[in-house]
Amino acid sequence: MFSLPLLILAALLIPGLILRTKSIMSGRKGPGLFQPLQDVWVLLRKGNVISPTASVIFRMAPVIMLSTLLVVLFLLPLGQMKAPFSFEGDIIFFAYLLAFGRFFMIIAAMDTGSGFSGMGANREALYSMLVEPAFLLLMGTFVMTTDALSFSSIFSSFTSDNPYFYLIGITGAYLLAQIAMIENSRLPVDDPKTHLELTMVHEVMILDYSGFDLALIHVGTWLKFAIFGNLIANSVLPAGLPVYGYIPAYAGIQIGFSILIGLLESFRARNKMMQNPKFILTLTAIAAATFAILLVLTKTRL
Amino acid sequence: MILFLIILFAFTLFYLSMAERFRVFSVLIGVQGLLLFGIALIELNEMNLANLLFITIETLLVKAIAVPILLFRIINKTKVYRVHPSTIPGFYSLLMTLAGLVISVVLGNIMKGEKADSVFITTALFALISGIILIVTRKRIFSHMIGFLVIENAVFLFSLAIGSETPYMVNIGILLDIVVSVLILGVFIGRIGEKFNDLGTDSLSDLKH
Amino acid sequence: MENLLIFSFLLFVAGIFFVPARVKYILAFLAVLLISGITSFFALTVFISASGQSVFTHTSVIFPGVEFVIDRISAFFILTVNFTMLTGISYAGIYLRSYLKSKPQLIISWHYFNLILLHGSMLLVCMLRDAFPFLIAWELMTLSSFILVIFESEHPANLKTGVNYLVQMHIGMFFILTAFLITAKAGGPAGFDGLSSWFQNHTGMPVFLLFFIGFGIKAGFIPFHTWLPDAHPAAPSHVSGIMSGVMIKMGIYGIVRVLISIQSGMFEIGVFLLVMSLITGIYGVMQAIVQHDLKRLLAYHSIENIGIIGMGLGLGCIGLAVNSPALSIFGFGGGLLHVLNHSLFKSLLFYASGVVYQGTHTRNINQLGGLIRKMPVTAGFFLLGSLAICGLPPFNGFISEFLIYYGMFSSLHASGFYLTILLIISILGLTLIGGLALFCFTKAFSVAFLGEARSEQARQATDSSKAVLIPFSLIGILIVLIGLIPVYFTHPLMSLVVDSFHIQAGFWQTLGADISVTVVGLVAAVFILITGGLLLIRYFAQRKRIQETGPTWGCGYTAGSVKMQYTASSFSDNIGGLAGRIVNVRKEFQGIPPGEIFPKKRHFASHAVELLEVWFIDKPVHALRNVMRRIAFLQTGQIQHYILYPFVFILIIFILSLLNLL
Repeated sequence: MFSLPLLILAALLIPGLILRTKSIMSGRKGPGLFQPLQDVWVLLRKGNVISPTASVIFRMAPVIMLSTLLVVLFLLPLGQMKAPFSFEGDIIFFAYLLAFGRFFMIIAAMDTGSGFSGMGANREALYSMLVEPAFLLLMGTFVMTTDALSFSSIFSSFTSDNPYFYLIGITGAYLLAQIAMIENSRLPVDDPKTHLELTMVHEVMILDYSGFDLALIHVGTWLKFAIFGNLIANSVLPAGLPVYGYIPAYAGIQIGFSILIGLLESFRARNKMMQNPKFILTLTAIAAATFAILLVLTKTRL
Repeated sequence: MILFLIILFAFTLFYLSMAERFRVFSVLIGVQGLLLFGIALIELNEMNLANLLFITIETLLVKAIAVPILLFRIINKTKVYRVHPSTIPGFYSLLMTLAGLVISVVLGNIMKGEKADSVFITTALFALISGIILIVTRKRIFSHMIGFLVIENAVFLFSLAIGSETPYMVNIGILLDIVVSVLILGVFIGRIGEKFNDLGTDSLSDLKH
Repeated sequence: MENLLIFSFLLFVAGIFFVPARVKYILAFLAVLLISGITSFFALTVFISASGQSVFTHTSVIFPGVEFVIDRISAFFILTVNFTMLTGISYAGIYLRSYLKSKPQLIISWHYFNLILLHGSMLLVCMLRDAFPFLIAWELMTLSSFILVIFESEHPANLKTGVNYLVQMHIGMFFILTAFLITAKAGGPAGFDGLSSWFQNHTGMPVFLLFFIGFGIKAGFIPFHTWLPDAHPAAPSHVSGIMSGVMIKMGIYGIVRVLISIQSGMFEIGVFLLVMSLITGIYGVMQAIVQHDLKRLLAYHSIENIGIIGMGLGLGCIGLAVNSPALSIFGFGGGLLHVLNHSLFKSLLFYASGVVYQGTHTRNINQLGGLIRKMPVTAGFFLLGSLAICGLPPFNGFISEFLIYYGMFSSLHASGFYLTILLIISILGLTLIGGLALFCFTKAFSVAFLGEARSEQARQATDSSKAVLIPFSLIGILIVLIGLIPVYFTHPLMSLVVDSFHIQAGFWQTLGADISVTVVGLVAAVFILITGGLLLIRYFAQRKRIQETGPTWGCGYTAGSVKMQYTASSFSDNIGGLAGRIVNVRKEFQGIPPGEIFPKKRHFASHAVELLEVWFIDKPVHALRNVMRRIAFLQTGQIQHYILYPFVFILIIFILSLLNLL
């Protein structure tokens, strides 16, 4: 039952931490840790400007995306503590529910009738299609080694007496961090701070949003960070830790994750747009290599 | 710990298949040498000082330091920095390497024996196939050189897989191959120069006439 | 007694030809309703009954001593066929309304007659076991659908497509006939019942291959699919919906019937089926992405979904071979559920595209746009169909894909080495198919319905009559129902699978699946509730704020036009580039040479070329024609030569038998 409040807490803190890290790395002091929260609070109380081309889909999409993320929150465990809605096969439900939100964001971007948003929608559809295999390969690796089909049962078998735990945990964490960067449209796939519409992927899909809808989109992005941070923490921390040890470690990992994102964003250059599919395919390759090694380790004796 | 090093080795193979700049190739070969040093050190448990020194020299000094330095000098001398413009894009060569991974996993299972450690055999086969793909699909001599070095690393891994000690002969053979290839190529490219590298291997088929 | 009923029914149907135009539709609808009602009643009794089978023997003038056997599998297919035919015929009335004036009465009546005939023949296919009656029903199905496809035969292209379809179906029937003849016991009747005794003594693979080719041509497996993308756009929309929804599933029905009888060699068959289905699925969806004809796109998606169904069946076979009840139950169960699901959302999509076509008179997506304002109801249902076909929760497509994934994932841990590799490749394949389908349908829906209209036709689009709500909402309700309370559909299907394939120890597996699937439905319902709640919050929050209208951000460009939006071809361009070897997109344009400072008007055209059609159909036909041209000298046109030929033939036979070579 702790997972939900911890997730929401993480979601509220992560954007401020990333922003602060990036500022400090550029030599500035940067905004306060709660500045993004204040921005969203202002946005929630504003009116909005909607293009006459946009239809009801445009108005519904941020709500739908946010609600998919809210439902997904109920699927995530916290080490030994099961998720509120865990069931066998929820890994598949997770991936496809996120795809539902993405479907609506893509068609909402096309709804504005602008060439820019169409570009972003197109690229977003391609990149997310290329990332899915990496995620499901990783899940396949988890399932193969732990013989469990839901997030809760997979991560509760990540104890220190599982011989391959460190291997899959650490490679899983690496892959999940990269997948998180791509799903949230961060460097090196997409620069959230670029001002050039031709080079944007996610930013240009939300170009026409304002006010309440924009606030919902921001909150959605934070929730996505928190969700992936939770998955990373679950992969890396052994499940046998007692609660009073687990929660600080979890908090530490979420904070570390956000600082890592800030550092990566400060020091990495963005890929050339044409190289992005190749970059994303690399993730699938790494996941495939991990799967292959674990396959050979666990099954060659059979 | 060894599994980490082997996974990192597999990563470098993937990265090699999709990289396009020769400097990246050289750095990756150096990294591979370093990883092999780590693997050899952990894996070979009965070692006398002579064997240890030999292995250290071979992997650390030659593969991880000397070879990259030589490769960098070749790049700077011939001023050719990238793969040939008409090489297949990184996306497809990555897909081919993935297919190579699947093949090496299947082959590794067929070839499993008693004394051989399966993970080593699979990775060695993967490195072998990856090196062959590099040679067959690339046009410039430098890329073929890199593929050859990767195959050498694969042979090293094979020798590690078979036993817990590597006989002197195998190691001397590997060192000889590396030294001869890098030296000859260095001499070739250094002396004959840019023209040779620029035109790629297509012009070699002119020799047929 | 039965004869009398059937005779009066035939009279009733023949009456279509003689009633005035408006009444024809009512007669046809009543006929379909009657057939559906009777057969569904029998099908439902079979489902509930303990024996799971019911047999009628019918003696009549035409079919002496023919047995109609309905077992649970037939019952399932019968129910699916009936539902889609009902929605099909209700949409047909609306679609054909605009043709009542322009087409002669005879054509319209003939069309309705063939619709009823198609319905009847599909049901007969599900009910007949003996080879020759089965093949007669199969042939009736082919002929009636041929007539339906060439409804608009004034365009010669449609006629050519129809004939292409007819020829390919007959090639398929030849394979099925050969397979039946091979398996016929000496003296006994050929048919599905004879298969199990034949397969006891022989391995499954060679004869299965023959059946697979024959039924696969109907179903649309690669490389036998080439008739599908041409036939579906040529046919009127209700016919495309019916064909795509249930007629191609008759091929699946045949394959399932054959699979039940096979005893040995299941592993090779399963692997073969899995590999062919993976190729079918991925190739189908990739080709769908680069199409800009709405119905052709939907036709390729049918091919993709047949691939998904085949994957489920293949996994089921592998599960039978390696004795893994989980894999077999979920594989077969997921595949069969997808048969039902696909018939629902594909027919919905085809009917919606029919409304679009009749409203704008174009099927080219690149000329549509902004239709959500002109036909909101159709747009909503097309969106529902797109979400369902991408397999997204909370709709029905997700449930069948979930079952297949569940089967694959749950077998990962315990399977042997090679099977695990196969399973992970299949998981990746299914993921890829899902991702590509999402890509394709976001393109199709958003370019056709959202944004601004890209041409005058789209700007002047007219909506259809309100009556179209009836078939739409019937299908829509079922889509949502299967998505939210799937256990009522999955449980009977899984027990069907356990009984038909004689799978042991199925109880715990099915229980686990029932629980998972119910929870999926619950969480999906929670999702809908949360969405509704948030929408309400948004509505109340917005009421107090200022809502302005401003033009879409054009980066300060003042001369923006509608043409600057993304078109379907531009959306699919990056995948067309990445997968260029598979989906050949030909672009025809003239470049601008460096000397031309003020470029003149240029044209650009892009279309996708289907390479498999070129290799498998065009090139062999071309080669065959060349061979024929060489032999054509024998056709002299003079009757004396034609009389000479048989004499030469008799002479050759005489010599051969003299030499004992015959």
